[in-house]
Amino acid sequence: MISARNPAALVLALVAIAVAPLAAQSKSNLDVKLPLLKGSVRFAVIGDSGTGEKEQYEIAKQMEAYRQAVNFDFVIMLGDNIYGGHTPHDFARKFEVPYKPLLDAGVKFYASLGNHDDPKLEPLYKPFNMNGERYYTFKKGDVQFFALDSNYMDAQQLSWLEQNLRSSKAHWKICFFHHPLYNDGKMHGPDLDLRNQLSPLLKIYGVNVVFSGHEHAYERLKPVDNIYYFIQGDSGKLVRHDFHASDEMAKSFDRDRTFMIVEIAGENLYFQTISASGETVDSGELPRPAASVKAAETAR
Amino acid sequence: MAKRAKSTMRATLIVKYLAPAAVLTAAAALAQSKSPARRANTTVLVQQFRTRANGYITWREKNVGRAPAPTNSPEKLDDARHELANKIRTARAGAKQGQIFTPEIADYFRKQISATLNGPHGNEVRQSLRHAEPVKMDLQINQSYPANVPLQSTPPTLLLNLPELPKGMEYRIIDRELVLRDSDANIIVDYIPDAFPADTE
Repeated sequence: MISARNPAALVLALVAIAVAPLAAQSKSNLDVKLPLLKGSVRFAVIGDSGTGEKEQYEIAKQMEAYRQAVNFDFVIMLGDNIYGGHTPHDFARKFEVPYKPLLDAGVKFYASLGNHDDPKLEPLYKPFNMNGERYYTFKKGDVQFFALDSNYMDAQQLSWLEQNLRSSKAHWKICFFHHPLYNDGKMHGPDLDLRNQLSPLLKIYGVNVVFSGHEHAYERLKPVDNIYYFIQGDSGKLVRHDFHASDEMAKSFDRDRTFMIVEIAGENLYFQTISASGETVDSGELPRPAASVKAAETAR
Repeated sequence: MAKRAKSTMRATLIVKYLAPAAVLTAAAALAQSKSPARRANTTVLVQQFRTRANGYITWREKNVGRAPAPTNSPEKLDDARHELANKIRTARAGAKQGQIFTPEIADYFRKQISATLNGPHGNEVRQSLRHAEPVKMDLQINQSYPANVPLQSTPPTLLLNLPELPKGMEYRIIDRELVLRDSDANIIVDYIPDAFPADTE
């Protein structure tokens, strides 16, 4: 955290305050696509965010502007939360300072681990809400989230996931982890070995949505096995012109950094993907797939 | 009783749907084709390895310490890790490569890795290795893994074919080496040189 032992963080905080009006739009200018239904679960999604560079701060400003409009109260992080070193200064510059307005507003961050993350320090860092674990689960309303460590998918983690998916009675099941199972990016592409091990579980136990990062762009895929796959690996890093043409792709964007806001209410998931400049690059309403409902009931 | 039944069901599902790779890998096929004497030798080597790995963690927790509890303070985490690593370096000052991965155990691991890479999911494992942002660095026992170098992810099928490790220890791949890393202290405990064949990629 920002402390006397870390004076650089204080300087960064002052810089962040100074640039705030440059990036954030006023609440009235925001083009909110979510329906903002009573009792819905609302959250934001960021991936590959922790660069500590100007662009991460611009996204953070947009997130705060949308938080004020949408009132999301937590953020899921898809890995590469802290690039490079993991000194106290790094935690400040790449997390605490850019997201200070969100943290001050009580927004909770739930991290998963990327290949640039420290798999021991970050789970022990309380603001990441990992409770010391590489993988964990939490519930918000009728939505259960499963944060996985795709860097190290060993037998213990697979067994833990199966046990927790099987026992979940949540209406919606959402997994998030760093390496994508499906993706049309040129830089990394899908992790086929991870897909071999994970996708049968996701299908059998009726997972509805998967969020991943790693590829430094945004992609939404057409459903695979009745699961919606999103790639959101550009909230800090960006690789332009990163996609192969693909029939599986529903939407892609690689011209600017982005984050997502998501709302879940009853049988529907609403999403909006927003760029650093405030442009809505994708949005929509996705029904909870009937087949995944059946799969969850059968597995139970 | 109900707990045991549930556990059995889980195991059944894992075998049926989740880990066909683990069940059908060349490693398993090789194991089945081995003579009883060779199978017994493999069991002994795996047991020897587990005893050494568990022995390290037990020794470290008893004589040096454990990871701290979760905290809001990165300073505390940073300090605790450095302290743990420095104590280990002092206490294991004479440690050498091969103390856990003895030559016989290392050979067993090389065979498991080779069987995984040449097994039915070998192409996916190789692809996963290529896409995992491979890293290269000189390795030394008791060295801290550099904080600014990403940790290469370890393919799941490979992990399923290697002996289970105690909590606080993990396998990592660096270039062609298989590294045993103390994840609490971020220390390289041991490694196998040329664990992966030169043509892995």
